[in-house]
Amino acid sequence: MEKKFLQPTVMRVTYKLIFRSILKYFVGIQYPDCSFLKKEKQFVIIANHNSHLDTLSLMTALPGDLLWKVKPVAAEDYFGNTKLKAKFSNFFINTLLINRKSKSTDGANYSINKIIAAIDEGYSLILFPEGTRGEPEQMSRMKSGIARILAQRPNLKYVPVYMTGMGKSLPKGTPFILPYNASLHFGEPTLAKSTDSHEIMDQIVDDFNKMVANFAIKEDDDDD
Amino acid sequence: MRKFLSILFPTQSNEVILVLAIILITLINVSIILFFVKKFFPQKNIDEVINRTISWWKMIGIFICAIFINNLASYICLGILSFVAFRELYSVLGFRQSDRGALLLALVAIPIQYTLAYIGWYGCYIIFIPVVMFLLLPSILVFRQDTHRITKSMAMVQWTLMLSVFGLSHLAYLLSMPDIEGFSSGGRGLLLFLVFLTEINDIMQFVWGKTFGKHKILPNVSPNKTWEGFIGGVISTTIIGYFIGFLTPLSPQNVILVSAMIAIVGFAGDVVISAIKRDKGIKDMSDTIPGHGGIFDRIDSLSFTAPAFFHLVYYIAYPHL
Repeated sequence: MEKKFLQPTVMRVTYKLIFRSILKYFVGIQYPDCSFLKKEKQFVIIANHNSHLDTLSLMTALPGDLLWKVKPVAAEDYFGNTKLKAKFSNFFINTLLINRKSKSTDGANYSINKIIAAIDEGYSLILFPEGTRGEPEQMSRMKSGIARILAQRPNLKYVPVYMTGMGKSLPKGTPFILPYNASLHFGEPTLAKSTDSHEIMDQIVDDFNKMVANFAIKEDDDDD
Repeated sequence: MRKFLSILFPTQSNEVILVLAIILITLINVSIILFFVKKFFPQKNIDEVINRTISWWKMIGIFICAIFINNLASYICLGILSFVAFRELYSVLGFRQSDRGALLLALVAIPIQYTLAYIGWYGCYIIFIPVVMFLLLPSILVFRQDTHRITKSMAMVQWTLMLSVFGLSHLAYLLSMPDIEGFSSGGRGLLLFLVFLTEINDIMQFVWGKTFGKHKILPNVSPNKTWEGFIGGVISTTIIGYFIGFLTPLSPQNVILVSAMIAIVGFAGDVVISAIKRDKGIKDMSDTIPGHGGIFDRIDSLSFTAPAFFHLVYYIAYPHL
């Protein structure tokens, strides 16, 4: 991993200046203070996934000088299905493309190995363990890949992030963004307590359950 | 201060500049007092008051720049205020997936409403949201063919639009009011009178309630509101209104009437928004303004006083229209 000149500068300007202003003032996303991430050398952000706005709002929330070394993990079949799209997302979003449907579990192209390689290079990651955007404002079951990664790299801290309202603003399959006061809730950077992937998974699910209980948007109940 | 402001705003009348100077001098004094309290009594916890004062500086700065520098900019800024308030209100109230189209249409209504205020086409301006959008929005909702809880959505979209766009756009229409002979401050004077008095009323009700508050007025809606705060607020707002009545073309008796009305209606707006927050189980509408909460935590009274003040003044001072 080496710091280039062009990409970090371009990313900083596009994200912190352009996208952040649009998301904050037009869409109405409420950003928390994320400067505590500057103290962390490397981390994995684990977030719930409801909308295309998720990656964008996470990236714009991060401190600007960290942006270039944070790679969102994205599906190759969606963001890399044409060469141009892959090039574009590599430069502007700095994505790490993985194959969701790969059968073989070894070799450098296997998604977990690809992610581990990026971690060893020194990159921080953004991961959506649910794997897909799913129903708006609903969290589906998280896949265990993240636990296996943390089990293999026990010194890596993870940061749980729970986002609300992104699925109200731009849910799956709709053509327009509706301004909405969506929020991001950052948890503490945490080390996995165990090296067993099942226990790590329980720990992460537990973190998210707490955040869902605190911050989830309450829908009106159908009691009449 | 007054001389400095006259150079900055050469087009404004002396009355407007006098009131702006009073506002700024008050704010400067409060800031100086807070600075010394913080310096000499560091153990006193006044961080929230400091936060609020900083936000007051920003809000007043934006307000003065928006209203007193350029005419077109005033309308655009008030439109943006409506947009942010509307977004905040429907975000808090919640909506169904199938309401997104209607909400988008309601958002499009904001620039139209403010354009109508800008060109001063009163007849169209006054019916656009209460009639045109009132008929259009439910029709759009029906096209999605999702009838589950559609009644609530029809009511919610229209009510939100009325409160945050129709109500607040009266601030903009004040700027389009025709000149009255012998009254130099014009629409800007009226606007400044309304906004200043509404905010003073909020502060006065708060201060009176904090100092003498004993008998709760609406304990299940807003436990901090007391009869003492309400009555003290109405009286002091009326007195202050009487002294800055020179911003309006009204006679002294009418200024007293209008000021008391602003105080009472402002209280109503305040508790209506409080009731919504209580229903939704939240403390603030959002976290847009540090120390104050959301936009609607600050302009809750204004969304009620604006149309009430406008139509009362329209009736009293512009009988020929």
